Amino acid sequence: MNKKRSTMFSVAKGALAIFVSLLVAAVLVFVSAAGDTVADKLAETGIALKSMLVSPLFKADGSFNFKGLCDVLALMIPIMFTGVGTCIMFSANQFNLGSEGGIMLGAFVTACVAVYAPIKGVLLPIVAILAGGIATAIVLYIPATLKAHFGVSEMVNSLMLNSIIQYTIMFLLNMYLADTTKGQVQMLPIQENAALPQIINNGSKFHVGFIIAIVVVALAWIFMYRTKWGYSIRMIGINQDFSKYSGLNVVKIIILAQVLGGFIAGIGGGAEMLGRYTAYNWKTLPGYGWTGVTVAILAGNNPLFVPFAAFFISYLNKGCTLMATYTSIPSQLIDIIQAVLFILFAADKFLSRYKQKLVVKSAEEEAAIKRQTELEFRGGEK
Amino acid sequence: MLQLIISEDFFFSMIRITAPILLATLAAIVCEKGGISNIGLEGTMMLAALFGSLASYYAHSWVVGLLVAILAGVVVSALMCFFIYNLQTNMILAGTAVNMIGSGGTIFLVKVITGLTEGTQMTSTTGLITQDLLMPTIDIPLIKDIPFIGPVLSGHCFLTYLTFILVFVTWVILYKTPLGLNIRSVGENPNAASSVGVSVLKVKYYTFIIGGVFCGLAGAFMSIYYAMGWSQGMLAGRGFIALAAQAMGIEPVGGLFASLIFGFAQALRIKFSAVGIDSNICSTIPYIITIIGLVVFAIRRIQNEKKKRSAEALNNK
Repeated sequence: MNKKRSTMFSVAKGALAIFVSLLVAAVLVFVSAAGDTVADKLAETGIALKSMLVSPLFKADGSFNFKGLCDVLALMIPIMFTGVGTCIMFSANQFNLGSEGGIMLGAFVTACVAVYAPIKGVLLPIVAILAGGIATAIVLYIPATLKAHFGVSEMVNSLMLNSIIQYTIMFLLNMYLADTTKGQVQMLPIQENAALPQIINNGSKFHVGFIIAIVVVALAWIFMYRTKWGYSIRMIGINQDFSKYSGLNVVKIIILAQVLGGFIAGIGGGAEMLGRYTAYNWKTLPGYGWTGVTVAILAGNNPLFVPFAAFFISYLNKGCTLMATYTSIPSQLIDIIQAVLFILFAADKFLSRYKQKLVVKSAEEEAAIKRQTELEFRGGEK
Repeated sequence: MLQLIISEDFFFSMIRITAPILLATLAAIVCEKGGISNIGLEGTMMLAALFGSLASYYAHSWVVGLLVAILAGVVVSALMCFFIYNLQTNMILAGTAVNMIGSGGTIFLVKVITGLTEGTQMTSTTGLITQDLLMPTIDIPLIKDIPFIGPVLSGHCFLTYLTFILVFVTWVILYKTPLGLNIRSVGENPNAASSVGVSVLKVKYYTFIIGGVFCGLAGAFMSIYYAMGWSQGMLAGRGFIALAAQAMGIEPVGGLFASLIFGFAQALRIKFSAVGIDSNICSTIPYIITIIGLVVFAIRRIQNEKKKRSAEALNNK
């Protein structure tokens, strides 16, 4: 199958997966819509779907909603980081789900540095975010090294670590770091020079973290597709035994992939912390890690497509929130849409018949061209 | 300290806590024997727990709740199997999708079905499950009068006793029935099994369905007995802890002991927070024990394999 056809197939498959998941959403919305008659329900479904799919970017009168766009872009920031981190880990076939705890740890460590470190000027946010990244990288080194050396499931361990991180942060926050002057549990406010500037200051929290995220996306793509290390990571993901026999240091690369993924998730947490909040106040896992997994799958583990996937998910997320405010339908619909999307994107045999047809067609065309050239060749002989 | 641990109610709560972990562990063991790493246990249990609690509320009967929970477990597992083996989805990703629905989608379902809308964190069905809807407990005659052992072993939910019986049943299914033989052979070498006429796909479905039944029972145990209703985060990673217990236990009886270790850790957590040690730091205990346990058993497995290989090498000389 030539490259053009295979891209065409990927696009068709993606489009159908999106269509099916939105269809599932529409059915669920219809079932749960308020109203006694079918007509009432249909009307409510219409409002719900419109607010979910259109209103993030357009106002009620049809004009473009700039604030809405900023909101969506701001929502993209943390999940771009976790998405890229997950891409790298999944590329090496390491199903490490630690970016969920990782982003929380990154935010926490960054906040600690941003509150207490006596550093002047722009150096403070840089040091703080890097500290968050390094702390997360160190923690994700645990499941990575256990997997590489002893074959212990990195997935189970990373999930356990997520819970350990969450409870340990809560412990530290409650016992030692809480701002006792506030009614709710939160840390002291960060120093003023630590806050990341907003790109557009309209309350959307569309901050400089977005630019950092885009830079990380670009660097991650270069790393994965233009360096020896990235190539090794992808090679191990495709065939670990082959990589081992061809002389790659599998242990080292498996660890590298996960530590790097952790580092990216960590700086994501740090950037989000300094851009969006004035004081650390996350009490539970934020869920960005799980969304990051969806983003990575939608992007086909290629960092380059992460921003698009992140935009799509953020758009739906914002849409579902708006839907919940305009209608009685809960915003958690997004989780079901995500799961359906996720599983259809991951299903290799989804649309396999269509793929088979394309392959056959390509093969037939190639055979026809071959026959043609052979005939011409013979014709030339005479 | 020791006095706190060696007490009747400590061991009672340890057995109580072990039951759902053990059920999930048995599901993981059956799946692993069939060559399936089922990481969707947590989500399957969540969905089963939710539907179980709702059904027992609307039907005013825990029997219906239990049956619906089992049905939910089976349906979710069969769907997972369909995606993994009919549509060739990566096993771990399919499990992750189920977990996503289990953690977020369930809130959507609760809100839609019950009409409860107050706040994300507050959404639960704990208000719906009243005392008379809970699964009944059983006092065992004779044993209940023995000092110490009586209060520990007697007075549990009937499902707790069933769980410990199921350890034996699982062993019988795996090692004494044709189905068990098929499950194990498909798990060890699907091509060989297929070459002697075993339908691999069918056996995978059976494996998933058995796992689904266990998950359904575990879900029902959690929502119609242990936690008295469904709430977000009620499982607190029990499905994942079960995976760890499977990795340590491997066989049903081994799984029983591994689950008891986790039951012990959880009971310890509750005891520790009761005496005033910070509850957050206590909450990390079961997870830390899981990681340590996994590592210890992995090292032991590697050493055993080395020993076996060197023994074989000596024999071949």
